[in-house]
Amino acid sequence: MEINIQHLEDIVGADNVTDDSETCKAYSRDVSSLPKLAGQILDDQFDAVAQPVTVESLQKLVTYSGRRKIPLTIRGNGTSGWGGSIPTRGGICVSLTHMSRVLNLDDFGLTVTVEAGITWRELLIFLNRLGSTLPVYPSSATAATVGGFVASGGFGIGSARYGDISSQIVGVEAVLLNGKLVRVGNMVLTEPDQDAARAKSGTKWFMNWLERRGGTEEPDPMSYLIGTYGVFGIITKVTMKIIPRLQLLPFAVSFETIDDLVRASIQIISEAEPYHLRFLADNYTSKLRALTGLIFEDGKFILSGALLDTIFQNEESIETIKGITETNGGVVLDIERAQYHWDERLFPLRIKRLGPSLVPAEVLVPTAEIPSLLHDVRRKLGSSRFAVEGTMDKSGLSSFLVWILDDERKTVSYTIGWHRSFDIAALAKKHGGSPYAIALWNSMHAKEFYGEQLYEEFRALKKEIDPQNLTNTMKVFGGRVAAAWPSLILGFLGGFIGLSLALWIGPEILGASWLRDALLAQPVPFMPLPLIIFIALLGGLLGFSVIKFMSLKQAMTLVLPLLKTLGRVIGK
Amino acid sequence: MKWEPYGSRGKLHVIKSIVEGREEFDEDIVQKIFMCALCEHCTEVCTTSINLDRFWEAARRYALEEGLLPPPAAYARESVLSFGDPFSMGPSNRMIWSEGLEEIIQDRINKPAEVAYFLGCHVGLNAQVHDIARSMVRILDYAGVDFTLLGDLETCCGAPLVWAGDPDSAPPVNGKNIEAMRKLGVRKIIFSCPSCITAWQSTYYQIHGKPVRDEFELLTPSQFIARLNDKGLLDYEEQPMVTVTFHDPCISARRLKTTKEPRDVIERIPGVYKVETVPSEQETRCCGSHALLNRIDPLLASQIAEMRLRDVSVTPATMVITECPRCIRAFDLARMTLGYNVELKDITQIVAGSLKPKDSGGQ
Ligand SMILES: Cc1cc2nc3c(=O)[nH]c(=O)nc-3n(C[C@H](O)[C@H](O)[C@H](O)COP(=O)(O)OP(=O)(O)OC[C@H]3O[C@@H](n4cnc5c(N)ncnc54)[C@H](O)[C@@H]3O)c2cc1C
Repeated sequence: MEINIQHLEDIVGADNVTDDSETCKAYSRDVSSLPKLAGQILDDQFDAVAQPVTVESLQKLVTYSGRRKIPLTIRGNGTSGWGGSIPTRGGICVSLTHMSRVLNLDDFGLTVTVEAGITWRELLIFLNRLGSTLPVYPSSATAATVGGFVASGGFGIGSARYGDISSQIVGVEAVLLNGKLVRVGNMVLTEPDQDAARAKSGTKWFMNWLERRGGTEEPDPMSYLIGTYGVFGIITKVTMKIIPRLQLLPFAVSFETIDDLVRASIQIISEAEPYHLRFLADNYTSKLRALTGLIFEDGKFILSGALLDTIFQNEESIETIKGITETNGGVVLDIERAQYHWDERLFPLRIKRLGPSLVPAEVLVPTAEIPSLLHDVRRKLGSSRFAVEGTMDKSGLSSFLVWILDDERKTVSYTIGWHRSFDIAALAKKHGGSPYAIALWNSMHAKEFYGEQLYEEFRALKKEIDPQNLTNTMKVFGGRVAAAWPSLILGFLGGFIGLSLALWIGPEILGASWLRDALLAQPVPFMPLPLIIFIALLGGLLGFSVIKFMSLKQAMTLVLPLLKTLGRVIGK
Repeated sequence: MKWEPYGSRGKLHVIKSIVEGREEFDEDIVQKIFMCALCEHCTEVCTTSINLDRFWEAARRYALEEGLLPPPAAYARESVLSFGDPFSMGPSNRMIWSEGLEEIIQDRINKPAEVAYFLGCHVGLNAQVHDIARSMVRILDYAGVDFTLLGDLETCCGAPLVWAGDPDSAPPVNGKNIEAMRKLGVRKIIFSCPSCITAWQSTYYQIHGKPVRDEFELLTPSQFIARLNDKGLLDYEEQPMVTVTFHDPCISARRLKTTKEPRDVIERIPGVYKVETVPSEQETRCCGSHALLNRIDPLLASQIAEMRLRDVSVTPATMVITECPRCIRAFDLARMTLGYNVELKDITQIVAGSLKPKDSGGQ
């Protein structure tokens, strides 16, 4: 694969492409600090970054790279940590951040239509000016893009009242990986709509394809684009619901035990319908410098959030929350503390300085299971330093986020410690949960996460529009790793040495001395090499091929138990 | 600017690579470090609470040590070290602003007093913003405050040295101001420029090893005017109806946390109706002119100012009030490039212009 920058400049505009290596490096990361070992299975640096500014140029870029077999990776602002926006095969990073206009605000229908690269912060600023706000946005709102959160799905601020982001999306426009522009749901746009004709033909194609697969109702066409990490296309526009910006009243309550907190939270969600509800476990509050010495907060279990209603309703709901808290043995914090916790909603990483690195493990569990999961996590992580927090959703599910404190400067120990993140996903399953996100690192759970039927539909669409798996490769569907030379050499040596030893010791054990003699014979005249070396070379080639053609799932199955064993040795 | 290595996360990655020896500290990274207004926004929104602006200052210092300072920054530094101001104008120009106000200030220069007014180089040396100083002096005179001025003894506060990577030279430079104030028995100092306040805070600490508040109270104009209002020392005249908005200068809002006082002051003026620009207060957007950015990349600085004025343009305000001469100068240029006819005033100007003349019943 060779990337011709001039071609890319012709497609997206000369100012909108770069192959400067420093820039490519910066875009090749997401929010997590991956152990260097990851570089052994990923081609983890972009060769170029493109920032298209029009839908048409984006369509051309997709078609061009498909024809040239150039891998593409879609990126919002890289604030996620599940590997969705990092390169796995090098290639081009398609950064959406320069498609960031607000296109339509429908005051009557209560929707806003934006380009996918706008950050949630900018959108909130825009809406706040006009007296509106968003029902749901991520706590990474400062930097995360609309497209990134929609492509990831998930809970955010507002989910206690309004559910996950998918329920707020009215319409999505995306460039599918075959270059077709589709619009699903109800896109509210203002005339003139330059992309209308192309969108019409693309959507028609998509609907026909769905029809052929068994109908356009089930699964909902939007489910191909929301929460699928860009494996089918690049989201370009989103129409979503907005709500009036009513009075926002923060609250915070504190408990001695997680059981009390969870019991109270379930009642609060059903009786007070709060806008947002977040919990912090004792191991989180005891690590926040700003809470040190506060008797009702330091080392306690805190539930905080906000009500978004009229003054009258809020006052009533505050009384309800007080009642529920007191019956469950909790303490209601004063309004200043409540405001502090509300303002902190966008700063979940405050504890990072204690790391200085954080290894995240995020899962989704039924809220009622939080106490038992927390108990198991404590047992599993033993002496590791960690902190737990999460967000509650109105449907009875919670995100359960474990921040494991570590130090990436200690390369070996940091690499070994990564297995803990995957262990927690396994624990969640035991409690009726699942990983929070799939993206790259959890792709082995994809089938279970989406359900077998939907997953099969996904595979069919992928095969249809990106048969060579060139875009967001390895995300959701897993697939072959891009093994680096050191791993390939290791594979070769493993095969070579393993087979040599087997052939050396085997005949001895079996007492077949004739075999041994045959293996030591020199089959090629003028080459003083015994047969065993030639066979071992084949073993080496086999080892090399195993690594070369290994899937991500196989690589993880091989490496994780190894890390786990080493972890036991070093106490991680 | 549109590429990630110009943003804080991207720059941090590059610096990490440099620390790990995988990349060089060269002109390229220096350019990125200086294409920044040190507006405290990244510190404010940093989800991990890293004080990033201090980190960028340290990186600028490294650029100086490596001899890679961008020429406009080197010029500002040399200018402060040789002339005592970043414009190479020297002390002889420090009193031009006071023309016509001789009556008020003639006995005030270097006169012992509890209150001092520290103009700062921008207000003291740029004709475009001289009126800020003239307004402040008029307000003090109107309220009958016994105040002092350093006159041509006033020198740079040292902030441009920090921005040019030379924080070690700042204490000796501002030390002269500190000594002069001390000799006059000053306890409270009013500053027209919020960056002077932060420079005073840090240089004082560097020299004396204790917080400046132990000796001086450093105040923004609106903090002082709010006190005059509370004491009933300022009488306002009804103004022709005007809708204004207050632009929070980055340093006032994010470092000094003085967002309430200017709003209170504006609300006291009859006929002036205030609306909020979103974002505001701690979330305010920069004017682009801080930390020498207007000299290093004037075009970028102006684009940032334009962005802020666009925020204002969707409000009904016809006047932007702020509390920093640098913001005023940046917006003055941006309103021209934008073709956006909005009035600009420093808070001292609107207050001074709204006072009831003394002979018509004012005090
Ligand atoms: C401090 C912090 C708080 C967070 N809070 C939350 C939270 O409350 N809830 C939550 O769910 N997550 C949260 N996250 C994770 C992350 O921020 C979100 O998932 C976020 O929405 C990702 O947005 P992004 O623009 O950075 O996307 P990226 O990280 O760049 O991309 C995420 C995925 O989406 C794909 N993608 C991006 N843009 C598009 C597009 N236009 N079309 C198609 N695919 C695309 C990428 O290929 C990738 O697979 C948080 C992260 C941090 C660091």
